[in-house]
Amino acid sequence: VGVLLGLEGEATDAEVVRAVLAGDVERYAVLVRRYRDRYARYASRMLGSRDVAEDAVQDALVRAFDRLADCREPDKFAGWLFLILRNRCFAEKRRRQRQERPLDSTDELFAAPDRPDGVYEQLERARALERALLHLTPEQREVFVLKHTEGLAYEEIAGVTGATVASLKMRMHRAYDRLRELMKEHL
Amino acid sequence: MTAGYHLLVKRLLDGELTLAELPPELRAEGEEALGLVGAADRAPVALSPALEERVMATVRRHAASSQAASLGNRAWRWLNTPRDVQVRLRVRPWTVWAGVLAAAAALALLLGRPTPQAVPGAQARGGVRDSVLVRFVLYAPGAHRVAVAGTFNQWDRGAAPLVPAGRSGVWTTTLALPVGQHQYAFVVDGARWVADPGAPAVDDGFGRRNSIVAVTAQGARL
Repeated sequence: VGVLLGLEGEATDAEVVRAVLAGDVERYAVLVRRYRDRYARYASRMLGSRDVAEDAVQDALVRAFDRLADCREPDKFAGWLFLILRNRCFAEKRRRQRQERPLDSTDELFAAPDRPDGVYEQLERARALERALLHLTPEQREVFVLKHTEGLAYEEIAGVTGATVASLKMRMHRAYDRLRELMKEHL
Repeated sequence: MTAGYHLLVKRLLDGELTLAELPPELRAEGEEALGLVGAADRAPVALSPALEERVMATVRRHAASSQAASLGNRAWRWLNTPRDVQVRLRVRPWTVWAGVLAAAAALALLLGRPTPQAVPGAQARGGVRDSVLVRFVLYAPGAHRVAVAGTFNQWDRGAAPLVPAGRSGVWTTTLALPVGQHQYAFVVDGARWVADPGAPAVDDGFGRRNSIVAVTAQGARL
């Protein structure tokens, strides 16, 4: 058991992927533990709900397992998984639009009990921003989340989304203008 | 309608400029814009601890169903693959049980090999590398029980019973035998040891004859 635990901590994504493809299904838990929370914030901000985000992350991890043989570069599993989750988030947005169920349950995102007192104004502004983000196009919201929540540079965002830096900047600049309009009561 | 941010303010938000680099008349707008993006919540989001088990329970089910589907497909392909089956029966009088057993015949069939192998008494169709399926057939009209015992089942007379094919007097069973040479004999009604007259035999040292089947990765030969 000790050896196995050691392997889990040190195994690269590629090693784990190959082990799973060779039939060791239980090793997939290593990747689940490794990435379940890494993309949770992205999904939460994209979908506006932690519960919906949890479903999306769960679905993405299961879909990644089902299609693991298609992961041609196992050492880039993380980016591959992100694309699956990203597609899932965009599909969720389209599905809710068809059902006319807006993504507007953002309050739960800020209900963490460990937030210090005296930040009410900041909290209100953050809630307003989250609500405003839901009024952006999914592409605008994504570039805002990846840059200002996840802290990625434009070049990194281009790397994970496949868009060009120029088009990403254009989306972002339109998002800035739209957010200014939506947030005017809180600025 | 609120006007959009100045391009230089957008570059400030993009991190390409600092507030001090903005013209003085844009600094207030720049501070407002920084306040906007500064409201972005960067706190980690913790998902349910149960998520991992839910994912693993699902992938285990998917893996099991995928494996079952794969086995099913292979079995379906095997069942739909045309193959020749040769059955040869020999009838001989048995000296001790004359009038009870008219004859015994044995046939070993090897299943699954792409090309048939012309071996007297057997049709070899190889498949698995470390074991092959060998079909045993005995013609024993009037018998109540028939089994095959040999080196592959420690001569256990109850380990490999044959099944009667209707009322024809033909008894059959198919066993997966490991590659190698095996000695065997049929056991009729739990007591009578009957050598396969269609197969080579050796003396077992106790006055009886044991039949021999050689199993290779390419097939089985009598």
